[in-house]
Amino acid sequence: MGRSINQIDKIITSKKNIITNLSIIKNDTIEAEGGCGVIGVASTIPIKGKYLFQSLIQMHNRGNGKGGGIAAVGLSHKQLGVTPKILENSYLLLIAYLDSISREQVEKECIYPYFDIKSVKKIDTINDYKVIGLEVKPPDVWSYFVNVKEDAINNFKIINGLENLSREQLEDEFIYRNSYMLNTRFYASLGDKKAFVLSHGKNMMVLKIVGYAEQVIQYYKLEDFEAQIWIGHQRYPTKGKIWHPGGSHPFIGLNDILIHNGDFANYHSIAEYLKQRNIYPLFLTDTEVAALYWDLLTRTYQYPLEYAIEAIAPTTEKDFTMLPKAKKKIYKAIQTTHIHGSPDGPWFFIVARNNLSEKQLQLIGITDTSMLRPQVFALQERDIKIGLIASEKQAIDTILSCLSKDDKRYSPIADRYWYARGGSYTDGGAFIFTINKSKNLNCTDKFGKKVKILDNNKHYFKRETCNSQNFLSINKKIFRNLEPKVLFEYLSNNIRNWDIDRTVLFLENLRKYASKGHIEKTFAIEILTLLIDRRYDFGRKFRSDLITLYEEKLYEIFNSLPQVVANSVNKYFRIDYNQRDKLFKPLTSDQILVVDVYDFKAEGNNGTCQFLQRAYDLGWRNFIAYNFRGQRNFGAGLITSEKVKIDIYGRVGDCLAAFADGPEFHVHESVQDSVAYCFRSGKIVIYGDVGKTFEYGAKGGVAFVLGDLVDRPLINSVGSATAIINGSCKDYLGESCMSASGFTVINGIKFSENGKILSQETPYHGGNLFPLAAAGTVYLRDPFKTVGEDQLNGSKISSISNNDWKIILPLLKENERLFDIKIKYLLTVNGRVRKPEHVYRKVIPLKVVALTKYDRGM
Amino acid sequence: MKQKLLFQTPEIKYCSYRYQNIITKYEVIIDRSRCTECGLCVQTCPKYIGTARFDYEAFQKHEGYLRIINLNSQCKGLLCQKCVNKCPTKALSVRINPQYLALGDYRWTSDLILSIWKQAETGKLSNRYEYKIGSSGGGFDRLRFDFELKNKRVSNNQNDIEYIDTSISLNKSNDGRPRIIIPIPVYGADMSFGSVSLNTMLARAKAAQAWNIFTSTGEGGYPSELIKYKNHIITQIATGHFGVNAETIKRAKIVVLKYAQGAKPGLGGHLLADKVNSDVAKIRDVVPNISLFSPFPFHNVYSVEDHYRHVQLIKDINPEVLVSVKVSTPTDIDMVAIGCYYAGANIIQIDGAFGGTGAAPDIAKNNIAMPIEYAIPIVHNYLISEGVRDKITIMASGGIRTAYDVAKIIALGADGAVIGTSELIALGCKRCANCERGRGCPSGIATTDPILANYIDPEWGCQRIINMYSSWKKQWDYILTKLGLGSIKELLPKNKVEFKKGRFNHLIHLDHVR
Repeated sequence: MGRSINQIDKIITSKKNIITNLSIIKNDTIEAEGGCGVIGVASTIPIKGKYLFQSLIQMHNRGNGKGGGIAAVGLSHKQLGVTPKILENSYLLLIAYLDSISREQVEKECIYPYFDIKSVKKIDTINDYKVIGLEVKPPDVWSYFVNVKEDAINNFKIINGLENLSREQLEDEFIYRNSYMLNTRFYASLGDKKAFVLSHGKNMMVLKIVGYAEQVIQYYKLEDFEAQIWIGHQRYPTKGKIWHPGGSHPFIGLNDILIHNGDFANYHSIAEYLKQRNIYPLFLTDTEVAALYWDLLTRTYQYPLEYAIEAIAPTTEKDFTMLPKAKKKIYKAIQTTHIHGSPDGPWFFIVARNNLSEKQLQLIGITDTSMLRPQVFALQERDIKIGLIASEKQAIDTILSCLSKDDKRYSPIADRYWYARGGSYTDGGAFIFTINKSKNLNCTDKFGKKVKILDNNKHYFKRETCNSQNFLSINKKIFRNLEPKVLFEYLSNNIRNWDIDRTVLFLENLRKYASKGHIEKTFAIEILTLLIDRRYDFGRKFRSDLITLYEEKLYEIFNSLPQVVANSVNKYFRIDYNQRDKLFKPLTSDQILVVDVYDFKAEGNNGTCQFLQRAYDLGWRNFIAYNFRGQRNFGAGLITSEKVKIDIYGRVGDCLAAFADGPEFHVHESVQDSVAYCFRSGKIVIYGDVGKTFEYGAKGGVAFVLGDLVDRPLINSVGSATAIINGSCKDYLGESCMSASGFTVINGIKFSENGKILSQETPYHGGNLFPLAAAGTVYLRDPFKTVGEDQLNGSKISSISNNDWKIILPLLKENERLFDIKIKYLLTVNGRVRKPEHVYRKVIPLKVVALTKYDRGM
Repeated sequence: MKQKLLFQTPEIKYCSYRYQNIITKYEVIIDRSRCTECGLCVQTCPKYIGTARFDYEAFQKHEGYLRIINLNSQCKGLLCQKCVNKCPTKALSVRINPQYLALGDYRWTSDLILSIWKQAETGKLSNRYEYKIGSSGGGFDRLRFDFELKNKRVSNNQNDIEYIDTSISLNKSNDGRPRIIIPIPVYGADMSFGSVSLNTMLARAKAAQAWNIFTSTGEGGYPSELIKYKNHIITQIATGHFGVNAETIKRAKIVVLKYAQGAKPGLGGHLLADKVNSDVAKIRDVVPNISLFSPFPFHNVYSVEDHYRHVQLIKDINPEVLVSVKVSTPTDIDMVAIGCYYAGANIIQIDGAFGGTGAAPDIAKNNIAMPIEYAIPIVHNYLISEGVRDKITIMASGGIRTAYDVAKIIALGADGAVIGTSELIALGCKRCANCERGRGCPSGIATTDPILANYIDPEWGCQRIINMYSSWKKQWDYILTKLGLGSIKELLPKNKVEFKKGRFNHLIHLDHVR
């Protein structure tokens, strides 16, 4: 393992030979990279391209149709028409021809002289690109399975002095440089762009066009094309009338493919860094330098993944101090050497690679140390194991949902969702899904720690074997006399003993009961909602399976509701996108409008925000909105001084309840970014986790969150904005808070597999707690004093007083009522109930000294 | 052919400077040891009656003395000197007023300031003061319209000039939202409550209403006193989100998302603790007497698709509102502009380096960002090559001082301009820069001190601004007439800005011509 300095040196210096015409490469004006949307999926059995399709459409509002690309790793030799041996051992060279005449010349100059060609094929396409809405004709793509001719390798070795490399390494380097020369000759030269290399690694393919990423799948007919790893990228470039996809993602190293969401600030610094190592970018986007840098680290320097990730996303601040001593030494050395190549600014990388030396396929997500771009990881482990990474949770859920419709071995909800903390000592801000030779999938963080889901005791729900006949039926009469809370109490204690079939039967009976009338419906909806929201012992069943079932039943009940008509005394009315213009005034304000949100647009005139406002203006005050798939801005700007209650089910999108003023939101699902942005008054309850910038600029109201926050919550909050967070927060909580009467409580708890309350390692992970705050308070449930002064920036930690407890107790009581998180348990430390001042601490701002005009900078 | 009057311009009313002793260019000095109070100087003073007077009452008390008072700054000083020559005891002398010399700087010269005061007073130009050009030696001050060089003597009789269409559209996209049209190609800049007083805001709001244009709340919230002018108030959402809520978004016809400010790019807003009194704190929902820092970025906008999401959110909350995006001028301003277009912005407001600010460290103000006259052509050209120039309105701001500056920036590729400092000067601002040091604006404009703020009466202030714009309107009519153009939209270049031998689109750059 590892290379000698000598070898590395030879590789780098000999690269100078291919930099023949420097003037070509002098052009330094970088194309603007906009932001984007990214997704990656890795599965133990191959997945067809059509499943990626829907999730790419889901991320349309992250791209502008001016560039999209996909990559596939772990291909099917049958579909490619080659033997398994060729697929494994030959390089799959994919070349995009931008005009119809350059192929002959390219093949003559770059391919025939050096390569033994095992197979040549043109990638099949549909007949007319305009049919699928493309404006620019995608390039013709030819695939060549090649190996380098023996004498070419020998010459290469001798000319460049690379005697110490293995044959495979030589071949790799040859392929790499040959592609570079092809690109300089036929793409980067001044004049017409004729052709470029899309990918050249083994067992992988890259395709990109000027259009949306899903149009790649359509155009090149990949719906049924199978691969074990797919990545996709929706680009949002802002420069130039783009007529060729050279600048689109993905970009390649050799056996690594990289896509990127974000926009570095230091492209030129990284480009300089690479030029010092004789690597000159050709496509002038920051993503390309990222891919080149990654290739340099992993292939030329042969760094293990952990070190490559450290070089890209260095560990700093408190996280660095928390590392073990040996690691600190190495990391310091890495940082000293590589800091100038480290990208600065918002970025999130997904890398798909064929790790030939370990015979593994890998999918890696790496997040930047300031956590400026959103990222979600997900894992499902059953007969089939599948790992996913995306910019939005909605994109992941869409893939799973599509897969589970066609293959019952998948569940529409992942078993676990989580976020990485960039540059941290806990997970390193990176997670790696590895498919090894025996077709097993593992998820590890940067340090190699495994992410575990599968408890050997658990059964997952195999739908095809579920048989709901032949079991005791539960007497429907029970329901009638029960309070939902009592029934739920019974269920939460007994569901652990039920198998799936019994659960299914119970739910079916519940649904039938609900069909009787609206009182029954209310009962059933409440029970199902409690089952979804609360955490209890699921026994040997996966929570994700149960949630899927609950949601299904709940939606069945919603779907059976009558349509909205005027002057009806029904309690519930259902409306969907197709009926959206047929909305009537309600007769009374306690009637409930149930909205199937599925077909509403992501935002705008036919989106959910304006619809809700219209319904409110007509007089509706109670809403259930379900079947979300990422629609944004729901509830945004809704002002009311009356009692308005909104229940939300499904994968609701960003900016939920932004600028809302008065309503009460109950979200029975985790949420993502910019939720409750500038929330002014009212209440928002999240029965799950929360993404980025929660309650940014919030002015009032109260928020209750069952799970964790990612980063940057309650920034610039003012007034009386208050939040109770039961989980933990990763970083940048309450920056620039100026809230005189508001406060935040972070309990730092989580739920065990059997529904018990446990403390997390710490309520607050990052190095910037309550920075630059001028007013306000953060209460931490931190009996073991895990949070230290070195995590503060302009604030200080002190103990709480009776007064503090008096202030937060009423909210903790409400917290108990909503989530069944008993205050008694919160105050229990190591089995004993302690006094609040021994469990909670508070963080308050230091006095801020006013800056004057004469201060030189802030 | 006489154009049909498209808009009834507001009435000009004479509106004098608040203080008796206005700063004037010349002053007459009396040597008391020689003055016999014969009063010959008073009688000799040509045309400008009342330039000198006896202080009679004092005289009767035997304390009297002759005072020379330059009413209406009419004294022609060194160009006249009749009183000096007539005085039998040679007691008089005339010089340039040192106050005049101290006033202003190279960009805002004393002439420009006094000229604005004059226009605010009378609604007309006076030839006394240079009203078109400063002395910065660059930028607008080196550009001339071709007719200016042909005929040095500009006619002052602008009352005869025909009304020409100077209206511009603030929504050129086809997004189905209101196509708001304003009769003159300017509206008022963002100045927050806290950086200026409520009376100042009211004066500006009333004037905006009279001219059917707009003014902006700035980032300090939307005072309830402004609600009755809501059809002319732009709600600003800045990174601190002070006072921004669903109501102020729904109330407004235009919302401006302030991503950056030209005067301090890379820095957020910064209101010094002294200026945060209880009123300011109340509207911003914070505790008084703490410094208020807005963060530099919007923490939920770190990428262009975040920007798209941000713009769409505002458009969703108010289905009728137009969204303006205010940015400063980094070197890749063209990328920023096209990003704003794709995000759905109707207006992009480009704020150049010479903009004003209520508070920012000197090192930022003096050294960062591009002047607006360089940034606008870059953006204009780029949007043309992208094929979208006619679908978005570009408003230029940051150091646009006069009607001629406005016309020049339009000729360089902007649709219109956003005016800040000039409006404050119309209210009597002397550009002493005290506002940046705390509460003490001696003119009562950029302060929240209740006593100082009373110096500005909103009605008076409103009329001053109305007058200034009336004078500007006539200057635009004049410029367009001289250029032979039928409307100001014709002054906007259809093609890319390309100076050839120092000339482009009726503009001449003096550095490049002999």
